[in-house]
Amino acid sequence: MDHDQDASKLHNPWPRFGWWFTATLVIVAAVLGFVVLSRYQQNGPELDLWTAICRAVGITADGAPAGAPQPPVRTSTRIAWTAATLSQIASGNAKHGASVAVTCVACHGERESASPIFPTLAGMDATVVYKQLDDFRSGKRQSGVMSAIAKALSERDSADVAAYFATRESGLAPIAGEPLPAGGRSLRQSDPGIRLVFAGDPERGIPPCAACHGPGDRKLGAPTLNGQQAAYIESQLTAFAQGGRQNDINQQMRGIAEQLTPDEMHAVTLYYSGRSLSRAVQTNDPATTQAHRPEGL
Amino acid sequence: MLGTRRLALFHYWVAFATFLVAIVLGAWQMLMRSPLPAPLDDPAAYYASVTLHGTAMAYVVTTFFIMGFGYAVAATSLGRPLRGVAAAWVGFVICLAGTVMAVAAIVTGRASVLYTFYPPLLASAWYYGGAFLLIAGSMIWIAVMIVNMQNWKRENPGRPVPLPMFAIAATAILWAWAASGVLIELACILLPRAFGWSDLIDAELGRTLFSVTLHAIVYFWLMPAYIAFYTLVPLAAGGRLYSDTMGRLTFIMLLVFALPVGMHHLLADPGHGSGFKFLQSALTFLVVLPTLLTVFSICASLEVAGRVRGGRGLFGWIGALPWKEPMVLAVGLSLVMLGLGGFGGLINMSFAMNLMIHNTSWVTAHFHLIFGGAVVIMYFAIAYQMWPHITGKPLRSKALARTQLWLWFWGMLITTIPWHIAGLMGQPRRVAAFDYADPLMARMGPLVIVSVIGGLMLLVSAILLIVVLIRSHFGEKAAEAPLRYALAVNPPARVPASLNGFGLWNSIVLVLMVIAYGYPIGQFFFLKPHSVPAVEVTSQTSLEGRP
Repeated sequence: MDHDQDASKLHNPWPRFGWWFTATLVIVAAVLGFVVLSRYQQNGPELDLWTAICRAVGITADGAPAGAPQPPVRTSTRIAWTAATLSQIASGNAKHGASVAVTCVACHGERESASPIFPTLAGMDATVVYKQLDDFRSGKRQSGVMSAIAKALSERDSADVAAYFATRESGLAPIAGEPLPAGGRSLRQSDPGIRLVFAGDPERGIPPCAACHGPGDRKLGAPTLNGQQAAYIESQLTAFAQGGRQNDINQQMRGIAEQLTPDEMHAVTLYYSGRSLSRAVQTNDPATTQAHRPEGL
Repeated sequence: MLGTRRLALFHYWVAFATFLVAIVLGAWQMLMRSPLPAPLDDPAAYYASVTLHGTAMAYVVTTFFIMGFGYAVAATSLGRPLRGVAAAWVGFVICLAGTVMAVAAIVTGRASVLYTFYPPLLASAWYYGGAFLLIAGSMIWIAVMIVNMQNWKRENPGRPVPLPMFAIAATAILWAWAASGVLIELACILLPRAFGWSDLIDAELGRTLFSVTLHAIVYFWLMPAYIAFYTLVPLAAGGRLYSDTMGRLTFIMLLVFALPVGMHHLLADPGHGSGFKFLQSALTFLVVLPTLLTVFSICASLEVAGRVRGGRGLFGWIGALPWKEPMVLAVGLSLVMLGLGGFGGLINMSFAMNLMIHNTSWVTAHFHLIFGGAVVIMYFAIAYQMWPHITGKPLRSKALARTQLWLWFWGMLITTIPWHIAGLMGQPRRVAAFDYADPLMARMGPLVIVSVIGGLMLLVSAILLIVVLIRSHFGEKAAEAPLRYALAVNPPARVPASLNGFGLWNSIVLVLMVIAYGYPIGQFFFLKPHSVPAVEVTSQTSLEGRP
């Protein structure tokens, strides 16, 4: 035992054993704890080795103190009715648009749409089609099919398609020039649809629909609704009310639709789709009679 | 020698007097949390009582007992007067002052933070100051132990340090490492906040520092029991120690594997990564090496004794052992409790299984069984063995002492086994009162009542202990017999330097501590400051009004 009288000399048996034993122990435990446990047992194969080891050490990506929540920057639309936008739309080439619109008419029809869930576009103001295409392209308005189609179109194409649909006749009725319903724009109208379309509900801050969508008046970017598909109008009112659609520039449609009862939405829809009984009786507008459609659409 | 005896006796009496008070509190706590009616049915009193019971048992009883034991062992095993008796008395007074301060703070209801005093709970500065003095005072004991061993080695070059002295020096060094965590926590985190020097408290750092202490302190408590296993039991049984080298290795391994392992007390804490928790859990498991080595050595030593006494056959030596000797009886009972508690401990330290029993009554039951049972029963046996030597008077009644040990054994099993089961059923620990009308708790009611019966048996046993010690203390003088220790079957003439000192092992501990705790502690300084507002528990009114 004389050779083991210095515990600091590594070649002596006990120090050698002690340090080797310690080193082996630490290495095995560290490999198990930092690699095997964290990478292969605990977390799963999608984690890379380095991240797993960092986690085992206690460093995680979500370890930083939580900052103040940043809401996503959100605007209703990219479109503003500047002179540049309007001149871009005005320069639309209906002829070229007709060739681009070959895809569109499969659903939206040359005169009216193929299904009540698709809007009729024939006769629609060019600014409306142009804006909606841009909103679909930018994701401001959500639709799987329309987003894909709009992304394939350039701004030039959009203007051309818009010009094409605006020149189509015998689809939607033109906004202007329509006579008032019998009884005038009165809050005393018994039909709630007619009352809302022409007089709104001032006590609830609801303006008349016709002030923007016609008949008789129009605002830039507001679609004409006279003769539009009933199911489509109702689905869009619901989408505005529930926040599913948010691309109205001043939130006016969200503000209005949120306040409408389901019955009121239905009544308005019936009026614009031309199936309101009182409207058919009380007006003698040829466009209205044209917009009458068989049940079931 | 007379000075050393008085020194040891004073330490022992402080320990046992505190023990008696603390066990009365423990019995009341058992009653309080049971479905049975308890006097003074007050949750605030319960938490103050748990704090006092824990602080007394974990810090006061153990520290004073081990210090007294260390002085006695150093003086008797080296066969010469203790060096540094004056310093030892200074340490005694500091520890006693600290104890009085802490107890006063608890009794006045300004420190109901439980004995682990985890931040952000905040007690009165008197409590922390008292705990600091108690632990810091024991540093003097550490110095006295190391100086005595070094002096003896210098004067006896080449000779092996007697195993009892080697073992008590290992205990002192272990305590020096262990206490560093809690002393730093007290001095740098808790006391500054308690004095009002800071507004916030770094709770995670505090808990991590405490974990350095929390497991090693358990082995510090365990050491006297192991020293008795190796150096007193074989002689009491009438034989010799099977192997001196196994003894040295055991104490060395207990020192090394006690320290870089405390984080298994933090397995549910969010402040640390799983890698370090696993590393320390894995190192914790190595305690099986010294434990199994000890079980083997002690059984072998007892077999040597049994065969010397005429035992024959495969198991005949067991019956031939002198079971009427308190020390021999105690080691048998202790090993049974060590086995049961040890298996429970494997679950606690397992990284994955811990979650099942974390913060349940299982944990409390576990440490009562292994510390209150396996370890403390050896404290009793040590006291019975040493009493005649340090008082100069014979033990008055070995029969009463045996009754006391049996009562303690059965009391501890009856207390802790249902307690374990209640924990597995989900009973949380550290709760003053349960609603046993709740169907979930109702199942645990009968188990808790059985535990109360066990607790009362423990109380009776503790009273018997004091009766035996007082009767002997005031008995008639007799010719004193020197305290002797077991010789090895092959007494070592020389041992390697590595097994005769602690330089190598301290270096290994240092490296392991840096690996195990370097990053987990360091991260709080540069990665994630965890300071939080403290929760002051400095008056009982703060607990009132809570459901």
